[in-house]
Amino acid sequence: MLALSLLGLAARSFGANLGVTLLLPNGRPLVGAVVTAQIAEAVNHPAAPVQAIMDQVDRAFSPDILVIPVNSSVSFPNSDSVSHQIYSFSPAKRFQLPLYRGKPYPPTVFDHPGLVTLGCNIHDEMLAYIVVTNAPFFGRTDPSGAWSADVPPGIYHVSIWHPRLREEATALEAEVEVADHSGGALTLHLKKPLKPAPLEGRPHSWDSY
Amino acid sequence: MGQLLSRLLPAIALVAVASTAPPMAAAADWELDLDARLVAVNGPPPLIDGGLGATRFGADQSGARIGRARFAVSQTFGEVWSVHLDASSWGDHDKVPVGLTEGYLQLRPYPRAGFRLRMKAGAFYSPISLENRSGGWESPYTVSYSAIDSWLAEEVRTIGAEAQLEWLGTRTGHDFDFGLTAAVFGWNDNAGAALADGGFTLTDRQSVLWGRVGKPGVPPVHAAEPFREMDGKAGTYGGLEARYLDRVVVRFLHYDNNADPSALDTVSHTVAWNTTFDSAGARFENSTGWTAIFQWLNGQTYISPGGDAERWPFKARFFLLSKRFGTHTLSTRYDQFEVEGAGDDGDGWQKGHAFTAAYSFQPEGHWRFTLEWLHVVSTSYNRTEFGNGPLMASQSQVQLAIRYAYEKGR
Repeated sequence: MLALSLLGLAARSFGANLGVTLLLPNGRPLVGAVVTAQIAEAVNHPAAPVQAIMDQVDRAFSPDILVIPVNSSVSFPNSDSVSHQIYSFSPAKRFQLPLYRGKPYPPTVFDHPGLVTLGCNIHDEMLAYIVVTNAPFFGRTDPSGAWSADVPPGIYHVSIWHPRLREEATALEAEVEVADHSGGALTLHLKKPLKPAPLEGRPHSWDSY
Repeated sequence: MGQLLSRLLPAIALVAVASTAPPMAAAADWELDLDARLVAVNGPPPLIDGGLGATRFGADQSGARIGRARFAVSQTFGEVWSVHLDASSWGDHDKVPVGLTEGYLQLRPYPRAGFRLRMKAGAFYSPISLENRSGGWESPYTVSYSAIDSWLAEEVRTIGAEAQLEWLGTRTGHDFDFGLTAAVFGWNDNAGAALADGGFTLTDRQSVLWGRVGKPGVPPVHAAEPFREMDGKAGTYGGLEARYLDRVVVRFLHYDNNADPSALDTVSHTVAWNTTFDSAGARFENSTGWTAIFQWLNGQTYISPGGDAERWPFKARFFLLSKRFGTHTLSTRYDQFEVEGAGDDGDGWQKGHAFTAAYSFQPEGHWRFTLEWLHVVSTSYNRTEFGNGPLMASQSQVQLAIRYAYEKGR
């Protein structure tokens, strides 16, 4: 019954709010983390597939992290004047895609859930992630480290992912009960500091050798 | 025959690629760099002009100079093959006004299962320098290279084939990447000659392929030509690289040109120089624009034309510290270097150190302006023996480098 009620969830309001807030050991928010929420002890139906864009701008992927429902398609338009050769050897999706100027390619379909790490075979410093999820509810935390969704009441299994996290996987999962009117909230205080962020601001010519 | 073959190597590689590769997938990417200098310098002339100066320019060269005129082109063939040619003129008295510093064919298959293989054939730099990371093997920190990298630019080049295998840990959730490099090469049997005779220098002049280092007929360096094959024996090197995220790079490499120290070239009347060295280095960068680089080199070169070996052990190291403020970069470097003389009289002995300070402004677009002060203090046996100079001397060079770079694609 619960599973049935999830069909067409994008179009309707469930009246209950699931809120997740992620805080770093220094108390500052963790921005841009991927949050996925599945209903515990029930059949979950993935959200409807979308058509997403992973662009290449100034020799970097944009966005740096994309989270999409399983069976979604992603196009790689290449807004740079230089060529790229996009690849992934992640088990969830192995592919390679040359992106030459003025030569569009059809979107790539991501039909298995999992983490897909993207690189460029020409520009080694380029790195991005596509999180392919079969969870019905997902998103990324905002500048205050928060994410929320309108969900049916129930018990939810919440998972967190970010490329710079050092926590054990078990510390990044939690069960949250979402009540009919008061909703449910999870505030996760991370114990380990993040890995260093990728360096920015160096001219591209500094990476020739 | 070997000489002819070696000169034709880049052309052979080009033809081989063009005839076997699938049709071009993309137009060529190319880059044009013009680098002009205003120089104020004291000291003897540089090696290429027959002097024993430790800097790129000598006393009589103060004023406006050509720093470098460079044209580089990269052409891909299909997805995984590409050819890279890098031509430069240094505005001095080499055999030819323009030459190739690098020219090679590269095979770059897509990474698989966390591993990446890359292969090169042709002429190129071995993966040693951690400061010369910019296009054209230039340093983004200073105009003049360290003593170590100046010597590599002068005498050491891989003319052969190299394979690199990397484990891309950072692409599978780990914090580290590891790489192995191995190469076989020829045409480097004279590497070490200019070091033994002329000592370490701090310059940004890169010898072009089959170019020369010294001035014909002028001792002690004469017309040293590092890129010669004299014994038909291949040299090798092997290296390791480890990276922590994009913050730390550590490199180690062992080089052996495997030259027969008794080999004589009857045409040029030169001997082969057996040169081996170990190099190590580390580069640290952080998010506030700081870079620290340490490089170390230790080796020896020897000749044995009549069965009596003469050896010149050498060592050098430097520490560089740089801070980037947006488009402005301030850098400083301290170099130490020594060539131990051969025999009882210390023929070729040189010991010295150098300070370099540079300010670079690179606005968005095509221009870069670098002001550099370089001060070298050295004790040199050959300066008294051949240059009528004092045993110990210091030399200063101030230069403003104005560079215009135009890139298509890349």
